Amino acid sequence: MGFKKLLTKKMEFSASHRYWNKGWSEEKNISVFGKSAGPHGHGHNYNLEVTVEGEVDAETGMIINLYELKSVMSEVLLDFDHKHLNEDNHHFKDIVPTTENIARVLWDLLEEKLADNPKCSLYRVRLYETQDLYVDYWRK
Amino acid sequence: MSDEENFEIFDTCSNPNGHGHDYAIQVKLNGEIDPESGMIYSLQDLDDIMNPVIEELDHKRLDIEIPYFENQQPTGENIAKYIWNKIKPNLNNKLIHIKLSETSRSYFEYYEEDNYPYER
Repeated sequence: MGFKKLLTKKMEFSASHRYWNKGWSEEKNISVFGKSAGPHGHGHNYNLEVTVEGEVDAETGMIINLYELKSVMSEVLLDFDHKHLNEDNHHFKDIVPTTENIARVLWDLLEEKLADNPKCSLYRVRLYETQDLYVDYWRK
Repeated sequence: MSDEENFEIFDTCSNPNGHGHDYAIQVKLNGEIDPESGMIYSLQDLDDIMNPVIEELDHKRLDIEIPYFENQQPTGENIAKYIWNKIKPNLNNKLIHIKLSETSRSYFEYYEEDNYPYER
């Protein structure tokens, strides 16, 4: 029987965003997104939890070195931390920077960077927008 | 491995005099609710099984004072597995998941894939 081994690291970042669909009327945007459609955006302290799976290396006792995971996450978050996602991050030029979409974009960026490490793979991205709200994203 | 190789891989974790964490262990049991007691498992009994294992590790230099870690790195991955193997036989096949938090920002999980009812 196979054992699952997972490692999760958390990291905080701060960003602002505005919920606005360019293809919709102002009325529809306000009706769907409410306060989140405010013209100047608003901010959150996001908490990102990245879970990786893999085998425990017999010599190091590790799935992945936490320093390596930390630097992968830090590099990816450079384009997110203290940024206005709609304005400063090209991934959100044509999609609304909802928590769901941010989690999906982060999955792609993290998966690409982790591809350099053949011993572990991305298992789940959990993104907290506030303490009371988070999105889980994974792909099979 | 040489000192250089160890420092290359383990960085500050290879400090000769070790370093400490406030670990927290979380176990998940799965089972039927006993109609008489209304419980899946007695929390008192669970404490009685967990406490000696925690007692053995608590306030110890794991790589020096715990024989198992003489030949295994005392990483979060290996500590989670160690605790799993210690408590699993005493829990009537109800243990399905272990989570070991090393800091408030990192944790390790260990479980049998075929015996875990949740997708992720």
